[in-house]
Amino acid sequence: MVGVMSGIAFGHYAHMTTNMYSDIYKDSEEGVNLADVWVENPRGVWEYTESDTLCEEISLQWSDADLPMVECEPRLILDGLLFDTEENGSQRLVPAVWHGIDEGYVDRVWMPEDSCCNGRLAVESNEIVLDAHAVDGLGVELGDTISIGAGQGKMNFTIVGFGYHPMHLYFAAPGSIVPAESGKFATGYLTSEGLESLANVSSGTSNMLLIDILGSPDYDLQSTDDNEGEELAEIIDSMLITVTDIDSSTIVYDRSGVESVEFLRADAEGAMKTYPVITGMLVIVAGITIFLSLQRLIQSQAREIAILRTLGIPRSAIMPSYILAPAVIGLYGTILGILGGIFLGAPAMESVYETVFGIPAIGGSTVNSSILEISAITMLLVMFSGIWPAWQAANLDPLKVLRGQHEVKLSSKTIQKFTSRLPTTIGLTIRSSTRKPIRLVFTFFAVGLSMLILGSMLFMMDSMEDLFLGNAGENSNWDQQAIVFPGMEDAITEWADENALDYELLLTMPASPDGDSRQLVAMGLDVFSTSGNEAMQTLNLVEGSLPSEGTDPPEALVDEGIQHFLGWGVGEVQSIRFGSQAVDFKIVGITEGEIARTVYFHRADLAAEVDLEATSVLLSYPDGFGQTTDLGDMSIGIIDKQETIDAMESLMETQQAFFIAIQFLGIVIAIVVLFNTLIINLAERDLELATLRVLGAPIKRIGSMMLGEHFAIGLIGGVLGAIFSILGTQWMISQLVQWSFYFKVNADPLISSYLVAIVLFISVALTPLGMWRVYRMDLVEKVKDFSN
Amino acid sequence: MNHVVVQMTVTLLTINDMKRYYEMVSGTVKALDGVDLEVKEGERIILLGPSGSGKTTLLNCIAALDSPTAGTYSFEGKEVPRNAPEEMTTFRRENIGYVFQFFNLLQDLTVIENILLIQELAGGRDEKRARELLALVGLEAEVDRFPTEISGGQQQRVAIARSLAKKPKLLLGDELTGNLDTKTSSMVMEVLVKACEAEGITTVFVTHDESLIRYATRVIRLDSGIVITDQDA
Repeated sequence: MVGVMSGIAFGHYAHMTTNMYSDIYKDSEEGVNLADVWVENPRGVWEYTESDTLCEEISLQWSDADLPMVECEPRLILDGLLFDTEENGSQRLVPAVWHGIDEGYVDRVWMPEDSCCNGRLAVESNEIVLDAHAVDGLGVELGDTISIGAGQGKMNFTIVGFGYHPMHLYFAAPGSIVPAESGKFATGYLTSEGLESLANVSSGTSNMLLIDILGSPDYDLQSTDDNEGEELAEIIDSMLITVTDIDSSTIVYDRSGVESVEFLRADAEGAMKTYPVITGMLVIVAGITIFLSLQRLIQSQAREIAILRTLGIPRSAIMPSYILAPAVIGLYGTILGILGGIFLGAPAMESVYETVFGIPAIGGSTVNSSILEISAITMLLVMFSGIWPAWQAANLDPLKVLRGQHEVKLSSKTIQKFTSRLPTTIGLTIRSSTRKPIRLVFTFFAVGLSMLILGSMLFMMDSMEDLFLGNAGENSNWDQQAIVFPGMEDAITEWADENALDYELLLTMPASPDGDSRQLVAMGLDVFSTSGNEAMQTLNLVEGSLPSEGTDPPEALVDEGIQHFLGWGVGEVQSIRFGSQAVDFKIVGITEGEIARTVYFHRADLAAEVDLEATSVLLSYPDGFGQTTDLGDMSIGIIDKQETIDAMESLMETQQAFFIAIQFLGIVIAIVVLFNTLIINLAERDLELATLRVLGAPIKRIGSMMLGEHFAIGLIGGVLGAIFSILGTQWMISQLVQWSFYFKVNADPLISSYLVAIVLFISVALTPLGMWRVYRMDLVEKVKDFSN
Repeated sequence: MNHVVVQMTVTLLTINDMKRYYEMVSGTVKALDGVDLEVKEGERIILLGPSGSGKTTLLNCIAALDSPTAGTYSFEGKEVPRNAPEEMTTFRRENIGYVFQFFNLLQDLTVIENILLIQELAGGRDEKRARELLALVGLEAEVDRFPTEISGGQQQRVAIARSLAKKPKLLLGDELTGNLDTKTSSMVMEVLVKACEAEGITTVFVTHDESLIRYATRVIRLDSGIVITDQDA
């Protein structure tokens, strides 16, 4: 039931998200007509004439007649701030991104018919559509006036609508991978005139060209080794030559280069990949549990079977009932699982999705074919699990059963030899535990799977917490990062000097590996350090050494993800491209802990290559430093460290119930599996235990033997479960990580010990149950059985 | 001066008006319906009777495997515990040896390990005594073999040695030769008598086999839960 229910729930999530994004991005009236190619100016803006020329040249040089260009729409997208006035009158700076939308044919605002969204698009230059993600946190309503800024400008706008945008469906602040808490980040969609006047730039200014191609051509998926979008890649290569002839810093990318699009696709793809695995795991565990339970049932009914066989009932008459039993159990479980999946699991997954991503789960319906597929596979596996016990039942030797000899199974000669020098009680304990190695292997396998369910959650949560909070917390000695227009950093450094604040300039530029369309971040740091307070941002160096400044070629560090995906290593000279400009550098070290692919240069070295000094300023505040709006006036965006940490913690909190439910499931499965095996082990030794009791063995001594056995099984099961869990989680993560989202699972010793402790505890906790069973044993009946 | 030698016979157990009733759906079954019995040290008693006569129930009550519904049962002058599984187990451990019809040796232990296990569970491993007991039942050559590797008669001799391992005061046996042929039965009984005499152990056996009377010092016949005859063999 649990397997089918989880399969349907996770499958629903996978299909819902995949279908939903496809519907949202569609080139239709209902869809947002997501661009197919983005041409970006990362170092500044284009005047109207420049963007016009670029579009014209792109159109003229278009290389593929089969995939014609439909639209080339310039757009201005600026980082900025929203000045949120709080109840006490103080002003709070909310990092924001503002889109100035002119024609609005491509990358439209999505306003589905749902309680999330209402109003209309901005038409006047003082109107704004606010992203629905931010509405609750800001406590705004239609018709409210909000004060926003971009660069030096600050203006009031009237909210005329609430909606979503395809570039911000995954709603995270620039530079962050964690979904922002509502009200801690905002995006807004203005008219082009509105944003131009806010930023005080001339009419027609843009920094992005949105290219729409007829239909939705395939693009190269970052998660695969194949190139699914060869045709589009050729268009992009040709387009890159065209645009860099006019502006060498221009970068061109497809949908894989848009973080929101890529994250959501990766999430849907991950769900699509993992739900059959999770379903399979649960169904296999169910199969093993049924297998063990049936063995137990047959054992308890052995005498009846033997009598029937003695009375001449043929094997063929006995076997069907034991095949039918798991089929009936499976059918009940599957029906309950289907109902639970459709009416509980799927809505719960939708709720989790809406809570985490803040997008209404619209248009998702549980796919009938996947329900059928999950149910059919479950039934097959469950029935398969009954075949061996049924065969065993049909082939019981009546004479042996009636003499009580069918339960006699000896341990291996090796075990007997190994234990012969031990005290007999310990030797018997070990021999008893290992009499049925196949059952024990099944048990350990099922316990391993249950621990994988539990452990994968714990390991992933821990690794992600380390990753997010480690980078945002322990490795960051700054409090705020002020993003600036190129060349505007001086105003902030002067302000910092006036306020006696520590600061460090930071230069970040989008780039891509030479000959590869995937995006990475080239980061220029002033100070390199792996610990302490010397640098504003410390790094986790796992290999090599820190780079020296001013070498030729420049020295740099690359993150583990780059090493993983591109195979780059220490000592190699590699090349990345900034638009059309290729830059060679020598890799001197590898860092870990970055989610996005990153190359670290000395800022001076990177500045010399890209002709820019800084794109942001990292600021550290002394305790009690009074924040003012000065920084907001001087910067185009602010990232607050504490808010990033809060967002991560909040994200973890929202998923706590889900994680706890999964952990609970893992523990319940481990209990059921261990309970079955240990009880069968005991039941098989009724004869032995009763003999010992008749001969005067005290319950405490039998309890000690049982405790020893359960302890050993628990310990071995726990250790194997933890190893299984670590390897399984690492395998699952290796299937999920991709260029834009890379992380490793740490085999945290504390969590590993916790997993071992859980299995050990469950196993040992079943000892009193076994003792109670022996204590309550009717010895008169047993002696009667012996005599029969 | 004439010396008069008086042989003192010490009473090991005394049973007065023992009743054991079972409440069944069809009514009350009176398995024992007022049994009086006194067993003296060194006696070898055989309980005979048809099926359902109550002999096994009496044996179970003597072994403190079962609790009588009424009556008194004292062992060496002390009341035997009833309806208290752990105290009854302690009583058995300290006083009773038991031999089963189907031997009930632990198949995963060697001959000697079967004896050592009982010693360990009773609180004292004594390998020397285990070997002596196996020698006593003529199995010194089989100490390291497993039960499946020896004959039924040999297995029963191991079971006897095992039952003597913790030096019981009373050895009980329920159809202990019921699973053996006549020749093997005789051999087992001879070994048993020899061993019990050597160890000074009192014995009470349940059997259907009248031919075993020759190994007994006293024969008690039961029917319908009461003693119908009690005479020296």
